[in-house]
Amino acid sequence: MNAKICTAGRGENAVMITRVADRQWHALDDDLVVGRGHAQHRPDGRLFVSIDAWHEAAFDRLAEAMLTELPAPLYTVVDEADAELTAGWRRAGFAVRRREWEYVVPTDPRVTGLEAVLPPSGVTIVPAGQADERLLRAVDRAVRAEVEATVGWRSMPAEVIAGLEGDTVVDPSKYAVAAAPDRYLGLIRVVRVKRPRIGLVAVRADEQRRGIARALLAHTLGTLHRAGAAEAWTEVHESNRAASALFEGIGARPTGSNLELVR
Amino acid sequence: MTGNRNVIEVEGRVVECLRSAMFTVELENGHQVLAHISGKIRKNYIRIMLEDRVLVELPPYDLTRGRIVFRYRN
Repeated sequence: MNAKICTAGRGENAVMITRVADRQWHALDDDLVVGRGHAQHRPDGRLFVSIDAWHEAAFDRLAEAMLTELPAPLYTVVDEADAELTAGWRRAGFAVRRREWEYVVPTDPRVTGLEAVLPPSGVTIVPAGQADERLLRAVDRAVRAEVEATVGWRSMPAEVIAGLEGDTVVDPSKYAVAAAPDRYLGLIRVVRVKRPRIGLVAVRADEQRRGIARALLAHTLGTLHRAGAAEAWTEVHESNRAASALFEGIGARPTGSNLELVR
Repeated sequence: MTGNRNVIEVEGRVVECLRSAMFTVELENGHQVLAHISGKIRKNYIRIMLEDRVLVELPPYDLTRGRIVFRYRN
């Protein structure tokens, strides 16, 4: 695909927008690539766009071309600290849909205060890699169904990677779980690439407010600490006050925020 | 260094994480540039950290700036 649109730029030179592929655009200024636009569908069906441009005029022309050619709604993700990029998307008519705080989470029990935290009576913590896969997938499905029935996943993670038949447990070895004799009550997923990331902490709705999430964190952070990791990180939606309170209560501190924008 | 339609791409290492979503990246030749994360990386929630090895795209007319377009796993 090579549809070309010539438009006047804001500066002395014209910026030419070229659609170089189905979901890719280039901005050319005097035959130099001064910007690129890209669009891709997420597994949840939403269409996300991105623009990388070396100057404002190229950004605006790319946005204009992409918004004309792509169906609404369109989404994008920006670091809130990136004021220039955020302003560019606002000029293009995008508005904030959700804000997610990034937290750095200490692992040292002397800092988190989780040293003496144990799971409630009748509940045991099964370490990562030892969970029964059938029970793990069952609790994962239950928790996700509960979220879908309330606030919905569209307002939760930026991306849910679905496996076969809606199964979202990609790697069972990454999960530690809170177990009752007959079923799992909650789970925590930690992926460790350099700094460990806590991707999910969840407890069945009818088992919440028993200290299970705190016990899962105590176990997981303690394990990371013994393995030599001083910090982990996670993201929390700004409206999820319970999760913010949980993490801030163990000494986690917000270090930045990501915005999901929509138009 | 790779070339792709006037685009200069150079490997480097993140030596400083700055405010405003910016990073100082030391390129293979020892030169340092101020770089931000590309939209494609941001869109895919890939995090850039200190010491990460990255691929930086340089603008055609200003070699003091850059854009991180890829993070190597090791």
